[in-house]
Amino acid sequence: MSQHDKPVKISKILRNKAEEFLSNPNLSNNLLDIIKHFETGADTSACLLTLEFIFTNLLKNGEMHIEVIPLKPIEPTIEYQYRQWLRNLYEETWSKVLTTFENSSIKIQMQALSSSMNILAYEGRYPLEHKGSLECYVPLNRLKLILMRILSNKHHNPHLVAKFEEYLIYDDILFYVWKVLPSLTAKSNPNDIYIMNYLLLLEKLQVKRNEESRMLCSSGGMNMHFNFDETALKRYLNKIWNCIILWEHTVATHKQLLIVLLEKVLPYLDKPLLLTDFLMDSLDVGGPVSLLALQGIFTMIQVYNLDYPNIFAKLYSMFEPEIFHTKFKPRLFYLADLFLSSTHLPENLVAAFAKRLARLALVAPSEDIIIICMFIGNLILRHPGLKCLLNHSVGGTTTNDPYIMEERDPLKSNAINSSLWEIQTLQNHALPSVATAATFINNPLPSIEWDISKVLENTGDNIFDKELKKNSKLVALAFDKPNRFSLSKGEKLFNYWNFC
Amino acid sequence: MARPKNKRNQISNQSQKQQAKKKLNPFEVHINKEKLKVLGKKSKSDRGLPGVSREKALRKRKSTLQQEFKLQHKSNTFSDKRIGERNTNMTDEDRFIARYAKLKAKRHKKSIFNLADEEVLTHKGQTLSEIEKFENVMSDDGDSLDGDTSGRLDADFVAEAHFGGGILKKTGIEGAKSHKDLIEQLITESKKRKAEKQKLKEETLELTEKLDSEWKDLLPLVNKSKSKNVVPENEKADDYDKVMRQLKFEARGTPSDRLKTEDEIAREAKEKLETLEKERLERMHGVISKINESRKHVSADGLDVNFVYDSETEVTLSYNQEGISNVELEAEINGKTIVPRESGDSKSDNSENNESSSESGNDENPEECEEESDNEDKLSDLKGEDSISESESELEYVGYEDKIREDLLKRKAIMENAREELPYSYNFPSNYEELHSLLLPQPSEHQFIILERLIKCHHPSLGEKNKENLDLLFAYLLQYINDISQAKDIQDINKCFRVFTNITPHLYDLAQMSPFNAHTLMIGVIEEKQKDYRKNKQTYPGNDIVLFLKLVSCIFPTSDFRHVVVTPAITFMDQMLNKCRVRTRRDIAYGLFLTTLALEYTSLTKRFLPSAINFLVGILHMAIPKTGVKLIKISPPFKISCNKLVLCNNHEESTMELAMSVGYLLEGEINDEFRIRAIHLCLSLLEEFAVNFMDLQSSYEIFIAVLKYLELVPMGNYPKKVKQKWTLLMEEIITMKNNRRMEYLMLAPKKPKALRLYEPNIEKVYDTKRRKIQSREKTERDKLLHKLKRERKGALREIRRDREFLSGIKINQKIQSDMERQAKVNKLLSEASLQQSELNAMDRKKNRKKTITSQIRGNVRFCIVEYLALALSDVLLLFVVDLQATLDRDERQSSQHGLVKVRLDRIEEELAEHVRDGRHQQCPAEHSGGGERIC
Repeated sequence: MSQHDKPVKISKILRNKAEEFLSNPNLSNNLLDIIKHFETGADTSACLLTLEFIFTNLLKNGEMHIEVIPLKPIEPTIEYQYRQWLRNLYEETWSKVLTTFENSSIKIQMQALSSSMNILAYEGRYPLEHKGSLECYVPLNRLKLILMRILSNKHHNPHLVAKFEEYLIYDDILFYVWKVLPSLTAKSNPNDIYIMNYLLLLEKLQVKRNEESRMLCSSGGMNMHFNFDETALKRYLNKIWNCIILWEHTVATHKQLLIVLLEKVLPYLDKPLLLTDFLMDSLDVGGPVSLLALQGIFTMIQVYNLDYPNIFAKLYSMFEPEIFHTKFKPRLFYLADLFLSSTHLPENLVAAFAKRLARLALVAPSEDIIIICMFIGNLILRHPGLKCLLNHSVGGTTTNDPYIMEERDPLKSNAINSSLWEIQTLQNHALPSVATAATFINNPLPSIEWDISKVLENTGDNIFDKELKKNSKLVALAFDKPNRFSLSKGEKLFNYWNFC
Repeated sequence: MARPKNKRNQISNQSQKQQAKKKLNPFEVHINKEKLKVLGKKSKSDRGLPGVSREKALRKRKSTLQQEFKLQHKSNTFSDKRIGERNTNMTDEDRFIARYAKLKAKRHKKSIFNLADEEVLTHKGQTLSEIEKFENVMSDDGDSLDGDTSGRLDADFVAEAHFGGGILKKTGIEGAKSHKDLIEQLITESKKRKAEKQKLKEETLELTEKLDSEWKDLLPLVNKSKSKNVVPENEKADDYDKVMRQLKFEARGTPSDRLKTEDEIAREAKEKLETLEKERLERMHGVISKINESRKHVSADGLDVNFVYDSETEVTLSYNQEGISNVELEAEINGKTIVPRESGDSKSDNSENNESSSESGNDENPEECEEESDNEDKLSDLKGEDSISESESELEYVGYEDKIREDLLKRKAIMENAREELPYSYNFPSNYEELHSLLLPQPSEHQFIILERLIKCHHPSLGEKNKENLDLLFAYLLQYINDISQAKDIQDINKCFRVFTNITPHLYDLAQMSPFNAHTLMIGVIEEKQKDYRKNKQTYPGNDIVLFLKLVSCIFPTSDFRHVVVTPAITFMDQMLNKCRVRTRRDIAYGLFLTTLALEYTSLTKRFLPSAINFLVGILHMAIPKTGVKLIKISPPFKISCNKLVLCNNHEESTMELAMSVGYLLEGEINDEFRIRAIHLCLSLLEEFAVNFMDLQSSYEIFIAVLKYLELVPMGNYPKKVKQKWTLLMEEIITMKNNRRMEYLMLAPKKPKALRLYEPNIEKVYDTKRRKIQSREKTERDKLLHKLKRERKGALREIRRDREFLSGIKINQKIQSDMERQAKVNKLLSEASLQQSELNAMDRKKNRKKTITSQIRGNVRFCIVEYLALALSDVLLLFVVDLQATLDRDERQSSQHGLVKVRLDRIEEELAEHVRDGRHQQCPAEHSGGGERIC
């Protein structure tokens, strides 16, 4: 028997056993067998599926339901004993399923999550004990346990979080996760794995109701009226945030925190201005973190009327050659575009930006040069005073560029007295697409700005594809025959490389 | 008697009508008074026919608008579709005929699908086929002979009748003849003439027919005699004639151009190269001119000669060494006695080499020998090319020439051996595996020769399928390169590169044979490789890619501004240099190789590729020893703390070979040798780039980073040569900084608008109207706008007139109906009055006036009601009200309504009486009150 067939067969056997047990409760040994097999650790995924199948069916049929009538002693009938036994088994299995969250295989982890969520859903629909209220019932303790597993402090669980996101489209789950979350938030400093998991989860959580109202833990959901209390959510969020902000962050978690802050949390905070200090500190970290902080500060300036005078110098200092190799390059350009969109900025300042970008273009990858060319073009369009960078009032020659690259303060960089020679140089770029992009300085500027957002995400591949598509019919061949290896004209490789 | 009169009347009526049409009624003509009269001016609007045109418009409306109006609110219409029913010009009889004809035509209508019975075309009642037999050809000579006089009056008559001297003559000779007689005489005469002519014609016809029949009888006799005469003549043709004819019809040698002298050939070759170079430069600057795409076809001889050209280079190299000028082509060829093969090719123009040619005779393929005659042309063609390329290469590579020379000579010998060992012809490999197994076991030189012979044997001019075969061969060779480049150890990779060098010239030739195929294949390869690379952008891909990139630079012009193959290739290179991480020895070597290639690609155009400079900067950075605290910045893909190229041991005195080896493209340990070579290569490349970018405006800014790192590289341990390079480079960058002149950017000044000339602006005026001077589009637009305005006005006018017309119709209808109604009312009233009179008469008889009056009053009331209904006039209303008032006062009200009809006059009388009576009696206030009510 080949190994390949084995798991298929075992899952089939397990399935058969489960079905037998469900049709005939007397065969309770089957269930015990399955659980035992599960404990051995082999074929975990198949066992999980089978157990999920068994318990969801049991829940559906209400076989574990125990009627509790107050003030009435429970009669220890056989059926009651059986049910009690089943429930004990259920609790036991539940805790075992939760342990598989720490299984080494990601696949099994995912399976465990989906199984446990399924069981949870069924329990919500068919509660173990009679629930008086009509409101939707979600077994909170179980949800809490699941979340605890996801927010592990030992393993990074981005896949689990991603999987868990699928359940967040259900309003009830979303709401109760928010409700449970404050109690799961560490008060003192947790380790970064926990923080990372936590922030990942937080990034996925919505703070408002889903557009389409769906319930996981209610059958049909027609008579259930679920009260989605958004103000409560905000309250939970603020509570959580106050804890999180106090944690000690590494660079990675700091970045993640800022992303979460910018994308999810900021609009819902009670007192966003309290974040100013945090953002200012982040601004000095450098790299992507400061970029994100910058965006935060921009939002604060824009929405909450924060006054931060030195922001342009900060932005200016972010334009370094390294930026082209980070993932945050599009964001930086987007932000810079936003910041410099005001027409009331001093020309000196904007000229400094233009000039610095032009310098960077000399070392930038080709796709970024195109962006920079457009960007500078837009700057000049917005600030007609910058035309002197293209069209010097007097003319003449100089031996040195008046612009000082090393100057940190854009206002002192003397850029306004310079010219955009760099762009002129780039007209000699080896790639024709770049060279043509740089020719904009030769012609009168257009009346409409270039649309940068289209090209921000471009990579070298785009340029390559475009060149392939150009497909000109012109077929040109070299006309001097290579003498063996070397060209008669312009041969370089042969000069420096030894082929024997 | 009456009939002719009637006829005349009719005719006169018709003619009158026609005249009326032609002649206008002078009273209808409206003449516009002209205030200023200009002589010779024609104006359209000086007179018009308003009445006539109005009439016309009215008629038109009657036929269209009125008809529509009549049919308004009617869903059905009758339309008479009988033929000619609506055509008033047709008489009844015509209609019947037309309908009958149509009916017949319908009955005879044939199926269009029945091609067999086509209608027979006729000419003068004869079918065309009959005519085409030309059975009865009558010459028209008879007609034309006396045609001049045939139907015409003879000269005498004309002279007499027309110009006959007038009255004098007439009175003298034929005074008795009246005009009528003259005419009659004329007619009889012409008839007579015609009859005569007819007769004559018939006679000739008869005679001709007779002659024809007789000739037919004679015909066999005539033919016999002829044929007998001819045959013996034919037999007489002797050998001499045969030979003569043979010579006559033999293909003559076509006149050709005289053979060109060598100078001319060289000049032509030079010109050709110059044009090619010019085109290249144009493409380099982005001007895509339509270049002559039909390249000169390279023939099999060309291939053969190409080889000669190769070996020639070697020889000339040696000559350069010896200091003999290489411009003298003659000398070169003469000196080439070392190489027997070449002399074999060039024997046709060099008699001195005849002795040596005998040795090489057995080398030649039979095919080559046949086509030898053209060889001289190509050979010298390439020589010319040679001399040019040499003069350039001479400057650049003097250093390594002597080194290579010996090597090449050695190789030459090997090749000669190979040439003799290998078979001369090969079957074309049917698939790639076959080629692979054919080439792989052979050493690289043998592969060169095998391919050479393969291509020669399957030259397109030798067979139809050969072109496709060679296209296939190109693809196979690419695949072969791809396969051999997967080398794992150093021997393999060396061999791989050697094989590659040997294959490249053939690939070049194949590309020249079918450029389009080469383009598509190369593009396909590069695209595929790039797609593979995309999967893992962080690591340098396989070695095959550098080979292909090098191949691109060999086959295609790298200097074009945009080239179908080269541009993607350089984009690919750029991407790799930007993205790939540099960790191992292979990464460094690979990157350096790519950078060298980038230099090669851009060396002619002096274009700028930032990624290449960035890479070299990164290499320099690797050579800087980093102390723990101070970080030296470098942008990715390099790592800040990489010390891999730092040279620790002293190699100052070593005189090692500094060229990089392709072996480094394999994984391996980084040793000092590699470090020195890498840095040396890096420095030399930077130097070349620096020279290339000298003219760029921000050249110094490009090299700022280089300078910064250069200063930090400790040069103490490096060999002297490397140190030299280093100092040279430093100096160069510094001079670059000091010498450059940066011109402030200025937009090209706008061309100043030309001032108006002082000469008068003379325009030709053809009409008196002055037109604005404006662009053609604008005038066109203005014209259209004007037209639109006029049309709109016209349309509005038409609509207005239509409305008027319609309202006229409506009011006419209304009047008509009113009149009818009036007539009816009148009729009623008259009947009523008649009745009344009868009644009155009866009353008078009975003398019971009082009762009658009361009756009448009752009747009057009723009449009033009827009046109201008819709503005839306000005056009457007033009247009625007065009456009402009177009646109100009158207590005696009658309820009788039996009598309805009352005569109006009578009522009025009565009413008047009552009113008069009432006014006497009633108080005035009440009366006036009644009047107010009415108001």
